[in-house]
Amino acid sequence: MNLSGVTIACFASSYAVSLALEVASLRRRFGWHRMVMLVFAAIGVVLHLVYLVNLAQGAVTPLASPAEWYLMVALVLAGLYLWGSFRWPHLTLGIFLLPLVIVLVAVGWGASREPFTAQRASLVWGQVHAWSLVLATVTMCVGFAAGLMYLVQSWRLKQKLAASPRFRLPSLELLERINSHSLGLSTALVAGGFASGLALVSLRHQGEANYSLLADPVVLGLAAMQLWLLAAEVFRWIYPSARRGRKVAYLTLASFGFLVIALGAMLRTSSVHQAEGQLSVVSGQVPSASGGNANSFTTDH
Amino acid sequence: MVGCSHHASAVAVREQLAFTPEEAAEALATWKAAHPQCEAVLLSTCNRVEFYAASDFDALPPCPGLLARHLADAHHLELDEVRPQLVTLRDEQAVEHLFRVAASLDSMVLGEPQILAQVKEAYELASRLGAAGPLTHGCFQTALRVARRVTNETMLHRHRVSIPSVAIADFAGQIFEDFRAKQVLVIGAGEMADETLRYLVDLGARKITIVNRNAERARALAAEWSGKAASLERLHLELAAADVVISTTAAGEPIITLQTFRELVAPARQQRPLFVLDLAMPRDFDPAIGDELGVYLYSIDDLAAACDRNRAARREEIPAAERIIHEECQKFFAEARHRLSAPVIASLRQGFDAPKQAELERLFNKLPELDDKARQEIAYFADRLVNKMLHPPMESLRDESKNGSPRGLLTALKRLFQLEG
Repeated sequence: MNLSGVTIACFASSYAVSLALEVASLRRRFGWHRMVMLVFAAIGVVLHLVYLVNLAQGAVTPLASPAEWYLMVALVLAGLYLWGSFRWPHLTLGIFLLPLVIVLVAVGWGASREPFTAQRASLVWGQVHAWSLVLATVTMCVGFAAGLMYLVQSWRLKQKLAASPRFRLPSLELLERINSHSLGLSTALVAGGFASGLALVSLRHQGEANYSLLADPVVLGLAAMQLWLLAAEVFRWIYPSARRGRKVAYLTLASFGFLVIALGAMLRTSSVHQAEGQLSVVSGQVPSASGGNANSFTTDH
Repeated sequence: MVGCSHHASAVAVREQLAFTPEEAAEALATWKAAHPQCEAVLLSTCNRVEFYAASDFDALPPCPGLLARHLADAHHLELDEVRPQLVTLRDEQAVEHLFRVAASLDSMVLGEPQILAQVKEAYELASRLGAAGPLTHGCFQTALRVARRVTNETMLHRHRVSIPSVAIADFAGQIFEDFRAKQVLVIGAGEMADETLRYLVDLGARKITIVNRNAERARALAAEWSGKAASLERLHLELAAADVVISTTAAGEPIITLQTFRELVAPARQQRPLFVLDLAMPRDFDPAIGDELGVYLYSIDDLAAACDRNRAARREEIPAAERIIHEECQKFFAEARHRLSAPVIASLRQGFDAPKQAELERLFNKLPELDDKARQEIAYFADRLVNKMLHPPMESLRDESKNGSPRGLLTALKRLFQLEG
């Protein structure tokens, strides 16, 4: 079977159908509702994977462009949704996770496909950097979804609304645990991504007098997010009530806000980022060894 | 089917006619001995006593009076005393009724799950004793399948309707993932607290503390639930440590006010989630405590409202369940009617096969030079011809069975082809 013609629209529409069925199931379910929903989600994941494999063919490294990066985050989230739906079949997870997946796919569709140049010497650092930030983004998205679910669940329980077979969320205890872990894990992953980014910058710009780290909005956005996460961890450590309930949910929602700012900065400035010959901290790729101007970036194709 | 249920008979009548499993076994054995040609299944629950009997299509149908007499005799009652309380359903009506019973559409609490197991037990008992036969096998197995379809394809059974089950499964279960390590505090002692505790223990709750004004009563309850008893003076400390609280005192006013909670309990809890089930009337907990962070407070009225919503939600599922039953009934009756035609089809096939075989033999004798391959081809041709000739009458019989009894067509076929039986 020739799968080279798989496009973003293929898997995006699969996810959209799955989400539509999730929404419809709040009102009414037919006999094969869940199976159809999961089949569409599974088809979406498979096509998504095929698309990324097709995209990676010919590139020196995986995650070679911002588009791939967003699509990879979306794929991991879609995979988590699929796994969660099998693991907890009675829970309403898609309403919270699938919109995130679809938004990320849409952003990936609009994001730059221009690959960054790769420098073999920095390939390891580049991969550590990119994967750390992909996983941090996934963790924060999961934390965000869990935070939202926590607030909805808590509100429903305060309003004395019993769980319904059509709309059932994980328990507050489990959501609190997911929130808490996602905060801790994303702090560590962002720190890893940030540190490896700095290592890449120092490799790339060694001896350049005119380079300023503080001029890169992506670096600044990421630094702000890192600072926020560290502050949140310290806050949780010294204030026990912040380890529980709605406060953890608020912390994860705020962290997601910082993530959106960092990603927005990357999306808005990635072309400038490349053109100026600076290192993309988020992309995890290294410009060619030939210089620091716009023309020095070479594609790997 | 002859029997009575909560719809038309008082509980006193149902009690008189109810069977224990042993009594049901004896009644079935007696029936089988007296009527070996007639299949029977006896369903006896607290809400119904129903005696199902079936005989082969060729035999006379079981007489309702006979069934009623058997029920009366089994309890040493006069038939005249029992008969007015009994309902009789025949053929399609009886089958449809059984499907509705198994799917719990006929239950006192719509969608209650126990009835399916009770129907299954009744059928298994009859099968074990040899009282059930091909007709009741088909009917009860289909009924069990219908009930499973209704369970899987509708939400009828998924809305809980008793206060303790709603409290624990629909509320406490939404707060806590696991009850094994949760501290359960029971204040006072009431029947509903007892039932709620049972649910919690089933879910794994092990750490139970009972606080009661009467220390002896507290100790007795604690021993019953393998928990510990605590004095009322320690109530605030126990509340601070608790995750789940069930309160059922007979106090005339709240035993925990908002101020007490804020000053003595909340600081120690540090917003740890607390599920409070206030089953007392008047309430033991000030309702304003429910607005505190991390506190989920439910009174009996809140739960009753949730139960009512669930009951209404179950009622909304009735049309979907009725559709399944109607669909399955149609299918069941069509198959049953089609089975009526099986002997005629067999005779018809035999009627065609015998001359076919005779003609083949005659032909092969006349043409001895034919090799095995040619003979095989000719025999294959004859088989195909017979099958093709039989196909239209069989299709007509199948179509006729879908819409009603095919007896008319069967008679015509018998006369046309001079079939026996």
